[in-house]
Amino acid sequence: MTANVKDKAAIVGIANTEFSKNSGRSELQLAAEAVAGALEDAGLKPSDVDGMTTFTMDNTDEIELARAVGIGDLSFYSRVPHGGGAATGLIHQAAMAVASGMAETIVCYRSLNGRSGHRYSSGVSGNLLTADAIHWGWYMPYGLVTPASWVAMYTQRYMHLTNCTHDSLFEVAHTMREYAATNPAALFYDQRFDRAEYDAQKKIVDPFRLYDCCLESDGASAVIITTTERAKDLRQPGVVVKGVGQAAAANMESMTSFYRDEIAAIPSMDIAASKAYEQSGLTPDDIDAAVIYDAFTPIVLWQLESWGFCKHGEAHDFVMDGALRPGGRLPTNTHGGQLSEAYIHGVNGIVEAARLVRKTSVNQPDKEVNHVLVTSGVGVPTGGALLGSMDTL
Amino acid sequence: MNPEETKEFEQKIHAFVGRENGPPKKGKDAVNEPMIRQWAEVMGDESPVYTDKETAKNTTKGGIIAPPSMLQAWSMEGYPMAGSPAVDVQRSLHNVFDENGFTGVLGTNTSTEFFRDLKPGDEVTYHTVIESISEQKSTARGIGYFIETVTQFTDQNGERVGKQVFRVLKFIPADAPAEASSVADDSPAVPTRIAAPRGHDNGWWWEAADKGKVLIQRCKSCQTLRHPPRPMCGECQSVEWDSIESTLDGEIFSFTVLHYPKVPGYDYPLCCAVISLAEGTRIVANVVGIDTEEVKIGMKVKGKVEQVDEKTMLPQFYPVAGGQ
Amino acid sequence: MSIDTRDFSNVAVGDTLPPREVPITSALIVGGALASRDFTTVHHDKKAAQKGGLPDIFMNILTSNGLMGSYVTNWAGPDSCTKKIDLKLGAPNLPGFIMTLTGEVKAIDEASGTVDIEVLGENNVWGMHMQGTVRVQLPKGAEA
Ligand SMILES: [Zn+2]
Repeated sequence: MTANVKDKAAIVGIANTEFSKNSGRSELQLAAEAVAGALEDAGLKPSDVDGMTTFTMDNTDEIELARAVGIGDLSFYSRVPHGGGAATGLIHQAAMAVASGMAETIVCYRSLNGRSGHRYSSGVSGNLLTADAIHWGWYMPYGLVTPASWVAMYTQRYMHLTNCTHDSLFEVAHTMREYAATNPAALFYDQRFDRAEYDAQKKIVDPFRLYDCCLESDGASAVIITTTERAKDLRQPGVVVKGVGQAAAANMESMTSFYRDEIAAIPSMDIAASKAYEQSGLTPDDIDAAVIYDAFTPIVLWQLESWGFCKHGEAHDFVMDGALRPGGRLPTNTHGGQLSEAYIHGVNGIVEAARLVRKTSVNQPDKEVNHVLVTSGVGVPTGGALLGSMDTL
Repeated sequence: MNPEETKEFEQKIHAFVGRENGPPKKGKDAVNEPMIRQWAEVMGDESPVYTDKETAKNTTKGGIIAPPSMLQAWSMEGYPMAGSPAVDVQRSLHNVFDENGFTGVLGTNTSTEFFRDLKPGDEVTYHTVIESISEQKSTARGIGYFIETVTQFTDQNGERVGKQVFRVLKFIPADAPAEASSVADDSPAVPTRIAAPRGHDNGWWWEAADKGKVLIQRCKSCQTLRHPPRPMCGECQSVEWDSIESTLDGEIFSFTVLHYPKVPGYDYPLCCAVISLAEGTRIVANVVGIDTEEVKIGMKVKGKVEQVDEKTMLPQFYPVAGGQ
Repeated sequence: MSIDTRDFSNVAVGDTLPPREVPITSALIVGGALASRDFTTVHHDKKAAQKGGLPDIFMNILTSNGLMGSYVTNWAGPDSCTKKIDLKLGAPNLPGFIMTLTGEVKAIDEASGTVDIEVLGENNVWGMHMQGTVRVQLPKGAEA
């Protein structure tokens, strides 16, 4: 069965707060600023909003945020689990709500003091007895406690089975940094590195050195989604949701799905991709640019394979051809990604994907951009969305 | 602090940059053998040039010298500082920080250069200047500023003998220092590994590990093995199960070596691996008894349950001689 | 103990120093504070240290510097000449801990005859206590 969401919903407003290592204010305030900014961008009033969606991991309560911004009655609210795997899950929720008529105008938000507050790199502690803590209990006593170490386990296997080397990991890290260097909003604006500097960074977990790992930052991002009908009358050109997939493949654990026949792959994203392509009627050839979740460098490679830009195990060659660069086949993470712009759990990526469709990215590719892919974090249940311009209706 | 207060505060602290802590001051004692010997005893300095006059004569030093790292000691105020620390420019600067909530203080770096060896009879004069104050930083300790002071050391002839850059962090403590009372009378215990929480679905497995066994859960109805344990069989939905004991013969399916961050209770570099067991299930565990650089996918390993610290029994896997 | 001085020509990048274990005791912390004339209360008075949030007295920076210096000069020998000690401080050293010092030659400079040794002092409870670089000048061709 193919979900009936194509062309029903559009992103009409986008906003980020500034990104920093210390925002100096509450996550609620950051969220309120981002939401107000996205409403302003859309030319909508707070009272136009009737739905909200965010991450289960977000600390900012919907109704607190609604009250802070002056949003009125809500008839839809939902949350998506699994950390960064939730990013495009917000589009998924909003598109369903809009397509079904459950709500008309939905705010999607994510706000975190990810550097000055709780830092994910500090790992899990297991202080609470929950089903999730029991799951982590199979790894903590051995010291496998950080996101980098979980992703490394898949990466070593992937590098063992394919021709992927540090060359392609560097290519991903370096491409993101070059984009960030020309993006004034990025934390790494105007800060470039070369291969020698990349190789000289401290080892985190094999095979990752520091620049293979994303930032930790403070900030918030928000997007407003409404019906394509309504989008036609608003301030900004709408960014249409062509298809959106979400999936947790069989035999899944959060970050530690080490018990599948092969772990050098991300089957959840394969499923999400096929659903989004099926809904939209698009193929990989139709996609002009992408924002691919980049908590760590190799996960970009696997997602390129899941979305069919190259065959499984061949992403090394694809990126070494310069595909992700400004003039390449698939300019990717033109904002600098989470490796170099900021880590807002992928929602700053949705903002950038919308900009690419609007042709307003600071690193807008020269070529015509009609369709853009944006994805969520992997290793957890995940997803991705295909966005297009209003001209594609 | 709001942005305006921060601006005002930063103006106040930056006014200190470039100021000398006081005029050049002579150390209380000339360089002397008794203080050198006491230093060498505590630090475990074995070199005869610090303590053995006769041997020292026959080295290129030509006699006793002071250990270079002792340089700063010749400038220390001594006992009076225990009762009433000197009120100097540096102290006033710290007071400005303290009044604005930046009560934490932490020495983070020293960089000391030595221009010549000091010998008994040398007289050391020191002169400290507040060199710089950083912009606001977000550190693991909390929000703060780094203060850098530079001290020049000269001798009785006005010649430079050394220079020290000292960096301290003044910060707003992230947590109130209240926890101390709860551990008041115990030195901190050597940390152990993070224990797995034990619940209904997994407690039995860890209890067996405590007794030296690795068990694999087995469906009583269709005999399918499963790990990690869960309450229902995914093949036949039976909730009846027993277990078999693993021989711990295995092969490395994937692995990683952890370097950073270093979590207390673990030794680094630390190898964690996904291991395919002969029984057909997989388990995550440490690979030990081998240089972590030598670990390879496909390597044959053999496990045994070991006590890895005071509180923890865990399966640990060793390379099999001649395997792979 | 090594009475002989290491010759510059016998040192290569990658050489490692024999590790040294330093048991941290109250005696060492107080002794080091007194030898460096550092009477700051947190280095001899447990109650003062606890007020500052730590469970016990802790080692002062001068002692850390002294231990790093002695670790290298014990290896380099009496005719060596210490030029620089760069030290970055990490977790405190408290009584009951054991600190292990390790060192590795990271760079050598033919012109000045100096050797840069990276030293790491890690305690068994909180990890990195100090890390840094000691630059030491060694005699050339003393044996020839
Ligand atoms: Zn069964």
